[in-house]
Amino acid sequence: MTGTASRPVSILISALGGEGGGVLAGWIADAAVVAGLHVQRTSIPGVAQRTGATTYYLEILPGTDRTPVLALNPAPGRVDVLVGTELLETARMVQAGYATPDRTLLIGVRRRVFTVAEKQAMGDGRLDPGRLEEIARQFSRRAMIGDLEAVARASGGHLNAVLLGALAGSGAVPIPADAYREAVRAGGKAVEQNLRGFEAGLAFARDGAPDAVMPETGAPESSPFSAPDNPPVPESWSLHPPEAVPMIEAGSQRLAAYQDDAYVALYAERLGRFAGRPGVDGAFLSELARLLAVRMAFEDVIRVAQLKLASARLEAVRAESKARAGDIVDVVEYMKPGPEELVSLLPAGLARRVLAALERRGWSGWSIPMNVTATRFGGFLRLKLLASLRGWRPRTLRYAEEQQWIERWLSLVDRALEIDPAAAREVVALAGLVKGYSDTDRRGRRNFGTIATRIVEPALAGDLPPGLFADAVLNARLAALKDPEGAALGQTIEALWASVGPDRQAAE
Amino acid sequence: MEVSFRREIGDLRLGAGDTFHGEGIMAVTKALLQSGVAYVGGYQGAPVSHLLDVLVQAGDLLEELGIHLETCTNEAAAAAMLAASINYPVRGAVTWKSIVGTNVAADALSNLSSAGVIGGALIVVGEDYGEGASVIQERTQAYAVKSSLWLLDPRPELPTIVRMVEKGFELSEASNTPVMMELRIRACHVFGSFEAADNRRSEFSAANRIQQPATFDYARLSHPPVTFVQEADKVHRRLPAARAFIRDNALNERFGPDSGDIGIIVQGGMFNVLNGRLAEAGLSDAWGNLEIPTHVLNVTYPLVPEEITEFCAGKRAVLVVEEGGPDFIEKEIGQILRKADLNTVLHGKDVLPMAGEYSPVVVAKGLSAFLSRYGRNESARLDDWVDAVCRHSEAVGRALSAPLPPRPPTFCTGCPERPVFSAMKLLRQETGPVHVAADIGCHAFATFPPFSQGNSILGYGMSLASAAAVSGTQAKRPLAVMGDGGFWHNGLLTGVAGSVFNQDDSVLVIFKNGYTSATGVQDVPSSLPSEHGRGKSLDIESTLKSLGVKWVETVRSYSVSTMRKTLKAAMDAPEKGLKVIVADGECQLARQRRVKPANAKAVAEGKRVVRTRFWVDPDVCTGDHACIRLSGCPSLTVRPSADPLKPEPVAHVNNDCVGCGLCGEVSHAAQLCPSFARIEIIQNPTAWDRFRAALSARLIRLLGGHAPAPQAPRPAAPQPVPAE
Repeated sequence: MTGTASRPVSILISALGGEGGGVLAGWIADAAVVAGLHVQRTSIPGVAQRTGATTYYLEILPGTDRTPVLALNPAPGRVDVLVGTELLETARMVQAGYATPDRTLLIGVRRRVFTVAEKQAMGDGRLDPGRLEEIARQFSRRAMIGDLEAVARASGGHLNAVLLGALAGSGAVPIPADAYREAVRAGGKAVEQNLRGFEAGLAFARDGAPDAVMPETGAPESSPFSAPDNPPVPESWSLHPPEAVPMIEAGSQRLAAYQDDAYVALYAERLGRFAGRPGVDGAFLSELARLLAVRMAFEDVIRVAQLKLASARLEAVRAESKARAGDIVDVVEYMKPGPEELVSLLPAGLARRVLAALERRGWSGWSIPMNVTATRFGGFLRLKLLASLRGWRPRTLRYAEEQQWIERWLSLVDRALEIDPAAAREVVALAGLVKGYSDTDRRGRRNFGTIATRIVEPALAGDLPPGLFADAVLNARLAALKDPEGAALGQTIEALWASVGPDRQAAE
Repeated sequence: MEVSFRREIGDLRLGAGDTFHGEGIMAVTKALLQSGVAYVGGYQGAPVSHLLDVLVQAGDLLEELGIHLETCTNEAAAAAMLAASINYPVRGAVTWKSIVGTNVAADALSNLSSAGVIGGALIVVGEDYGEGASVIQERTQAYAVKSSLWLLDPRPELPTIVRMVEKGFELSEASNTPVMMELRIRACHVFGSFEAADNRRSEFSAANRIQQPATFDYARLSHPPVTFVQEADKVHRRLPAARAFIRDNALNERFGPDSGDIGIIVQGGMFNVLNGRLAEAGLSDAWGNLEIPTHVLNVTYPLVPEEITEFCAGKRAVLVVEEGGPDFIEKEIGQILRKADLNTVLHGKDVLPMAGEYSPVVVAKGLSAFLSRYGRNESARLDDWVDAVCRHSEAVGRALSAPLPPRPPTFCTGCPERPVFSAMKLLRQETGPVHVAADIGCHAFATFPPFSQGNSILGYGMSLASAAAVSGTQAKRPLAVMGDGGFWHNGLLTGVAGSVFNQDDSVLVIFKNGYTSATGVQDVPSSLPSEHGRGKSLDIESTLKSLGVKWVETVRSYSVSTMRKTLKAAMDAPEKGLKVIVADGECQLARQRRVKPANAKAVAEGKRVVRTRFWVDPDVCTGDHACIRLSGCPSLTVRPSADPLKPEPVAHVNNDCVGCGLCGEVSHAAQLCPSFARIEIIQNPTAWDRFRAALSARLIRLLGGHAPAPQAPRPAAPQPVPAE
């Protein structure tokens, strides 16, 4: 027991609303009563009582005739057990002092529930979970951190029951395991499941858990386009730096599935313009190969139909939907191509005339919402029809425009390479700004265009001090990812030119 | 209602000899029954919602005890209800969240306290102050002082809370004054135990009704000229009577040694935090064996001057631990000391802050400053602890390298309010910003990312009223949002009637989700009737029309495109006057609580049930997360990409998805991206279902699609043509 006759054992539970933290605190309190101890618990249930962070605090003392005066607030540095259901919230509690190396047993779940700030980033806004776990370990006396969600799933119980078992097994609280079991039974809800979870938690505390790698929300989905096992490496590829080869392979496969061998040849030819040049090392070529493949496999309606026909999808969906054997699983696709997306399937000249006509008549906002049931014959047929346009693709306006865009980008890379390889790397990375569909796609192209015109071109023309080139492009790209409205990008460019001197301000 | 209180209702029947185990607010409910109340009412709000919630479900018990229960439409109604105790010898209790509820109730409270009561009247307020609070930070004490209401602030442990409820009624009757009891968030939720007593029936009640109305007595009216008499009565008779009762019944408590050269005076509610820090300094322990004389004010208004002077006499200094500002208690103690010509030095807000919660660290700093000034070296232990806490935080901060992102509350998975804000955000992208008058309720979460909208919050049901002058001075119409809870609480008269009356040119969105969900899913007048519910299906649309609102549109909240069009139509409509959009969609929490068990039962019985949820195709998703910026749904998250060419995390719908449809609606309305798919799982399919599915599968296979499991090996990719 961590507490003494005169000092209570203090337990702080940090959970998210709706996770059952209150039930967990209730079980512990009930078990303490069963064990003849004096217990007090209280909580800050959070505003929403659903999704916000919540905390529950308990103090436990040996039962006597005297009534103790227990605290309602945890005191930093004075917490014996910290239970955390999520790594970020656990780290938050650690920072507030509710876990300290001299005292605290930390029972944590290796699990992330991303905040809105992390999720809504235009790229990867996630915190490093390894760092969070490291904090939890570094600043606690003893850390029991495991993938307890998997333990819960395996046991059929809930996470809070597993945590109760882990607490019971930790020996940090002077409550016998049977008292916990009795509390769970007295709760009267899902008793069997919860007892199974409790036993699994107990076993986790006893045996520890296999040190699994951080599972982020579920295992990555198998992709029909992930690299196959041991792809053959043709001899001539060995001219490229070996570290670029896997990416070139992946890119080639993507484009073969996307279009045809000739298209793969075009890919290789484009890469060949850069391979072996001064400043083009493996990392450079690998990143160029990646972004070039992504841009060449642009997402037109044909491509989307291709993807939606992939047979592996149905298996993934079945697995994820937790469908039981015998259930019928249907997949209803949400597609809503606009006139641009449809008309751009026409040959360039015709498409441009049609688009102009639509524009004149104010019909550009028009679109066709389609709910296509890919798992039923009618829906399948429609997708199949769209996907079969693959051979037609090189004649479309979209194709022509994309190739033009790619050539402009490659030419910028090419010219940057002559001046400063570091800057060329950043120009390569700029292609990452272009992604998505509809408004997202337009925004990305606009940002790319802005940076190309206002930084890259002037720099290539010698208007920017050479030492600033790479950093300027990098900063602009990061700014473009800050807000969808492009405010940060505008400010960054203004600031750059203001620092360089007004006389060098490039023309818009 | 959110929770079932079956166990708690059982506990409410406990009698003498039984031990009650439960939360603070439940102990209050039990204490009300032990005090023989004849009526109970109130308006829901954290942290006191459960007081009423449990009684709503305890119909049989109320009937046995003859207690009349009123779920009031707002706090003013609840306060006015106490008028029964002005003329009749019946005890009554009402409850609400303070400070906001007390503000709404203020008019009735002033009139009630002027007339005074003959039956005990108790107001239980949740003092929503400090960590976890959801309202503006002010103190209830101000109302006690200005209206001559007595304010109890009991030590946060069940026996004291229960005793204070029981004594509160006696105090109310002994001084003919309504009594308030404030409980902070942690005190409401504190789990403990007390020795129960038998429930008491009121002499007069719903079961034994008073046969004759009170005889006409002008003195009972809050109306001149007797208001002047009542004002004097408060001062000359009721206040002294209250002080005598408080003193004679030892409502305030003494801890620690009888004498000492320094002492502490503390609000009852703050006692446990103080004791914890004294224990840290080595000046107390877990049983409250304080080594410094401490006077605990379980009654913070009125103070009993003799108690104060007696405590302070002979001491060099006292510290007043009074959370929040202004320093009502400290000032009054200063005045008492001055008038008694005591030269005890008074400390309080000089060493403790005027603003903010008195957390352990805050109290420790103030206590240390006080102790060290009077040569008590125990202060060093507190200083060491505070230093260690700061060093620790800094060390963790350094190890983290960047501040941790906040996690504000957000709409639940499948919430019907989220799609309306998605539509508003889309409209904002289309037509530019609009002045948004926000309100109190779940919809206030739209002030957080990803929606980040709302220009003002002026109180519950106040949004439309708060947009009145904006509509008169701005080129664009302002948009007010309000829940159905806020509509019935206040918005109907303050907002809608006022807007029609003044011909304001505004747009109002009313969220008709069927309950006051943020407070724990209580019924409102427009809730549908149900077994345990109190809903009466009052119709919002016809109410609006009867008030003269001509432009009323009801839109299903999940129809984002329609909602966007309707919002735009309301903003652009040529006719002046109020335009109301009723966003119709039941609270998903309440709905799931009903639908989930029903579906599980149907599936178990072998009935055909179609479950829907959404899914993001990771191969189609490009990792921009525009969908998340228009939703923020907890079940719409991100996960690692399996595609080496697109390493950025892809959007992902997890298994909490309830299939509300927003993802699909948004991807259509915003022409966002074709990654979203709706999955329909037909459980217990019929023979016809199976036949159709098999037919489709066969036809699809004929065309070479959907290879049957196990999946056929993928054809090898063609050899890339090498460079050179």
